[in-house]
Amino acid sequence: MLSEYFSAVDFLLLKPAILLTIFGIGVMLTDLLLDERQKYFNAVTALVGIGFAAVQMLRIQSQMREAGVSEVEAFRGAIVLDGLGIFFIWLFLISTAITILISFRYLEIENEHHGEYYAILLFATVGMIFLAIGMDLITLFVGLELMVLSIYILAGFLRGDRRSNEAAMKYLLLGAFSSGILLYGMSLLYGMSNSTNLRVIGSALSQRPLGDPLVIMAVVTIAAGLFFKIGAVPFHQWLPDVYEGAPHSVAAFMSVGPKVAAFALLLRLFLVPLGELREQWEPLLIGVAVATMTLGNLAAISQSNIKRMLGYSAISHVGYILLGLVAGNETGLKGIVIYLLVYVFMNLGIFTVVVAMRRRDLVGDEINDMAGLMHKSPVMAILSLIFLLSLAGIPPTAGFLGKYFIFLSLLETGHYTLAVIAVLYVAVAIYYYFRIVVVMFMQPPADQELPSMSLGIRCALGVTAAMTLFMGLYPEPFIQLATGPVLAILR
Amino acid sequence: MLLAVAVLSGFVMALAAPWLHRIARSTSGWVLALFPVALTVYFAGQAGRVAAGEVLAVSIDWVPSLGIALSFYLDGLSLLFALMISGIGALVVVYAGGYLAGHAHLGRFYAFLLMFLASMLGLVLANNVITLFVFWELTSVSSYLLIGFEHEREAARQAALQALLVTGLGGLALLAGLLLLGQAGGSMELSELLTRGEAIQAHPFYAPILLLILAGAFTKSAQFPFHFWLPSAMEAPTPVSAYLHSATMVKAGIYLLARFNPVLGGTELWFYIVTAAGAATMLIGAYLALQQSDLKRILAYSTMSALGMMVLLLGLGTELAVKAAIVSILVHALYKGALFLVAGAVDHETGTRDVDRLGGLRRAMPITAAAAALAALSMAGLPPLFGFIGKEMVYEAVFEAPTAVVLLTGVVVLSSMFLLAVAGVAGLRPFFGERASTPKHPHEAPLSLWLGPFLLAGLGLFSGLFPGAAGWLVSPAVAATWGQSTGVELALFHGWSPVLLLSAITVAGGLGLFAGRSACRRAASRLAIGSRWGATRWYELALDGINRLARAQTRFLQSGYLRYYLLTIIATMLGLTAYTLLSRAGLPVPQGSLQVPLYQAVLAGLILLAALAAVRLQTRLGAVAALGVVGYGVALIFVLFGAPDLAMTQFLVETLTVILLVLVLYHLPRFATLSTRRERVRDMAVALLAGGLMTALVLAAAAVQPQLEVSSYMADHSAALAHGRNVVNVILVDFRGLDTFGEITVLAVVGIGVYSLLKLRIRKGDRP
Repeated sequence: MLSEYFSAVDFLLLKPAILLTIFGIGVMLTDLLLDERQKYFNAVTALVGIGFAAVQMLRIQSQMREAGVSEVEAFRGAIVLDGLGIFFIWLFLISTAITILISFRYLEIENEHHGEYYAILLFATVGMIFLAIGMDLITLFVGLELMVLSIYILAGFLRGDRRSNEAAMKYLLLGAFSSGILLYGMSLLYGMSNSTNLRVIGSALSQRPLGDPLVIMAVVTIAAGLFFKIGAVPFHQWLPDVYEGAPHSVAAFMSVGPKVAAFALLLRLFLVPLGELREQWEPLLIGVAVATMTLGNLAAISQSNIKRMLGYSAISHVGYILLGLVAGNETGLKGIVIYLLVYVFMNLGIFTVVVAMRRRDLVGDEINDMAGLMHKSPVMAILSLIFLLSLAGIPPTAGFLGKYFIFLSLLETGHYTLAVIAVLYVAVAIYYYFRIVVVMFMQPPADQELPSMSLGIRCALGVTAAMTLFMGLYPEPFIQLATGPVLAILR
Repeated sequence: MLLAVAVLSGFVMALAAPWLHRIARSTSGWVLALFPVALTVYFAGQAGRVAAGEVLAVSIDWVPSLGIALSFYLDGLSLLFALMISGIGALVVVYAGGYLAGHAHLGRFYAFLLMFLASMLGLVLANNVITLFVFWELTSVSSYLLIGFEHEREAARQAALQALLVTGLGGLALLAGLLLLGQAGGSMELSELLTRGEAIQAHPFYAPILLLILAGAFTKSAQFPFHFWLPSAMEAPTPVSAYLHSATMVKAGIYLLARFNPVLGGTELWFYIVTAAGAATMLIGAYLALQQSDLKRILAYSTMSALGMMVLLLGLGTELAVKAAIVSILVHALYKGALFLVAGAVDHETGTRDVDRLGGLRRAMPITAAAAALAALSMAGLPPLFGFIGKEMVYEAVFEAPTAVVLLTGVVVLSSMFLLAVAGVAGLRPFFGERASTPKHPHEAPLSLWLGPFLLAGLGLFSGLFPGAAGWLVSPAVAATWGQSTGVELALFHGWSPVLLLSAITVAGGLGLFAGRSACRRAASRLAIGSRWGATRWYELALDGINRLARAQTRFLQSGYLRYYLLTIIATMLGLTAYTLLSRAGLPVPQGSLQVPLYQAVLAGLILLAALAAVRLQTRLGAVAALGVVGYGVALIFVLFGAPDLAMTQFLVETLTVILLVLVLYHLPRFATLSTRRERVRDMAVALLAGGLMTALVLAAAAVQPQLEVSSYMADHSAALAHGRNVVNVILVDFRGLDTFGEITVLAVVGIGVYSLLKLRIRKGDRP
């Protein structure tokens, strides 16, 4: 007990976030001492910071196990660390670590290798962690803003590149706008319940009359703000533009970490305070999910830029994940958790390949830049095939597992039409993912320059590919893993 | 347990194949073939037990929480397919070693081939529907890699993608069907489901289940109207065509139909759909086969026709028909595998596959010619070959069909005539008659190239002469498909019957077609039904349409302009809220009378005027100033409603914003009108609607009376807890001390930032 107001537990729970912040500041300080050629040391520092945070997480988890609790509250309920939070924090740590691994060679090639990059990545991770464990509107919103502000900067990190500038600008303006919408919804929630605590809000909302216009408004505005952050149709338009303009490694990061964090926020808000209002938001969610799948899959077909294409493919995945929430039963929620887990690895994997395509004199983000990869680097081509198969959802890769859960949950809850639509769109997905495979495997190489490799990229490729295959071939431990977070939601 | 090892070891072998190839070099084909040979021996060793009615089963936990087990089982049907897959697989591996000798990526080719072999084995041995689907998709993927193996030409790439798309779509339908089947049958295990046929047929899901599973089977087995991918896939290297497109993969659909026959078969729906699709495919395939001149395309269309016949028989579903179907599977695998391998050998030796440019090869390639002749005679259905037995059984089955005997018999006989002519074109024509000049001077193919066709064709002759052995293999398979055990008697001579007469008519008609084939081809090309109305055209149209739709909607939604993105967001918000409000609750009506004092009204008017001015003014400076007025007005409202600290902040922020804006505007180009009048009207409408909605919401929100407990708490406790009388001070330094601390930190950081920026500026000034 530190005082009447704060206890040691409060700070213990925040230790991973505090450590990441300290290391972020440390990176910025040590950066001043480093030569241009020693900048990779910043990446090492950042990785060590993530390592420290991970160790701290392990300790917290073991302490929770010893105490026999599945959930710890801190700061008077503003922060709650439960199974779901633990799961998400691990996903964030992993995605940030892999992003750091694939970044330093890329930044060297771009001649923008500065320490701030890693510091801001760590700060973004701190924001994401608060999204995972926040149980209070203010905490969540501050975490969200910390995350997106960091990404605005990262998206424009290539200061000399017009596309990067444009991406950052678009993202900043639209992002600020959507944050405003979200905040509006949050203020409505507060006005109706007099509390910023999600659980208190939930019980207050359940007392309001059915079809209360204020409640509907709150649901719609919060949903719109969240849909923007996850990139669901029709709030998705920023996404392909920003992915295309942002540095490759940042696009990789954006497609996983912040997106998963936004899903963490969405799950929290939809299931805790708005959980009782399912019939209010379910039709909305169905419409958005179907539109998202349709548009994401269709638009991905006509892209020639691989980052744009992956942007649209990311949009289509959002549609699938939302379907899990539509089903909303245990299978569906498990599906969401597993889908996110799988998605992090397969998407980072394919983006790692894109990052490696950036060579000294080649931006490497056109699909045709991958021509003849099978001749130049068979290993990378085969690994890409695994990632693309997984993204399309073809067994025995991990992507199938996520989709399988979603399909099954839809069937279990009687959403047959949705299930059929979801299954059919996989065929479209096969079409555009295999366009890349065709280019990689069957077209003669346009040049002889090999992909740019580094130890980090090798590690990242190895880890992501191994996980993508392993989760597909032996999914049982991961399904068990998903049970904890799901139980935390359902309680 | 050995059963699972038999399936899964193939994947390990696939991984090891490139490495083995590097060690064994030119003999790698023979070395690697030892693996499928071992599998064949293993499966043959089980034949005795299976024939006795035993079923081998093994189950390994895979995903127990989903009820998915890696379970395999071996009954008669599985055994027949497993033997074909591993036996022909061994021959094809040897053949590939000769056919692609010296190819730079031969090791990789073996890897893909063995991966396919293992997937196919998994597919026919799977006892769990999800396991079955997993292997089904694996065959699609590995076949994609095999078809696209030689891919210098655009056509090969398109063909590979086409095959993948069509079978992939079918695979997805199959998945949906299997999931529904699992729900309806209450189990994921095939062996369980097979015993619940009646319950499933009575289930409301029966029709969708059937249609979805049939879609999977029909796409894989190239049934009309999904048949078009098979001829295109002939771009693949010949060993692949021989293995995938005649003996194994295309029969996966047949396997599926046979496997699910006890569960889904026997209903009217099944009868009509399956029989009709089979009959159409059979006739179209046979007709189109005769129109081709490329040896492999001829064989592809005739394969299609044969598959159609099997589907038709399974659709009939009588005991005789099932027997005929199973026998046909074996017959077809033997002769068509041989013919494909022969076609590859001919191509390899002469450099062409055009039947019009081939002839008289029997002197140069006697062994290949013998194999081709035997296989062709079997395909034609002439005694004493196995093909004759098969065709007799088919005729018998069709004769006993429940309905439409005449129609079905006509279709089958007509197709058989065509196939007989095709057999002549593909198997005999290149080897007999005038010697034609070819791009390469032909020699007898090496042992690796003639061994396969020779063995397969020889087996066809052997089975014809001694049908007992084949019957021993076929009868357990028939029992598994039919659902109860039944004896199969195979014999060359069935006694004098109308069937024999039909055979004679077939031979006569077929010979006639063979003689008049060039006239027939000319007539057909004038009709050109295929190219105008063929399914390929539909496929292209669909693909084209999707592409165009994709481009159009991308152009429409992804303009790249920020203002349109904002417009979309606002419009969607508006639509959603307005719709839900209007449909559910009606517009919120403000409660109580609104009494607005004059000075508030004046203030509101001022804000409105300033906002209008900001929109209308033509100079940037003016617009910024007008915006500033809006901000100050809002701040004044805060003052009026008793929040001076908030107002203070707002004043500061407004001032700073205006200064910053002015500083930035200084660097911008002159004001220009970018939007047209129409766009401005639209924007105005959206803006007014958004504003209206917000107004309505504010009014609705005002109806809720929040209990203002925060401020009262602060006022009550400031003296008691913090010993301070000034509430604001207490809040700043005590109640929200941490917040203040954070704010001070931020200010300090900003100060450092500003200072460093200024220094940067000065330094720049130093060095002009």
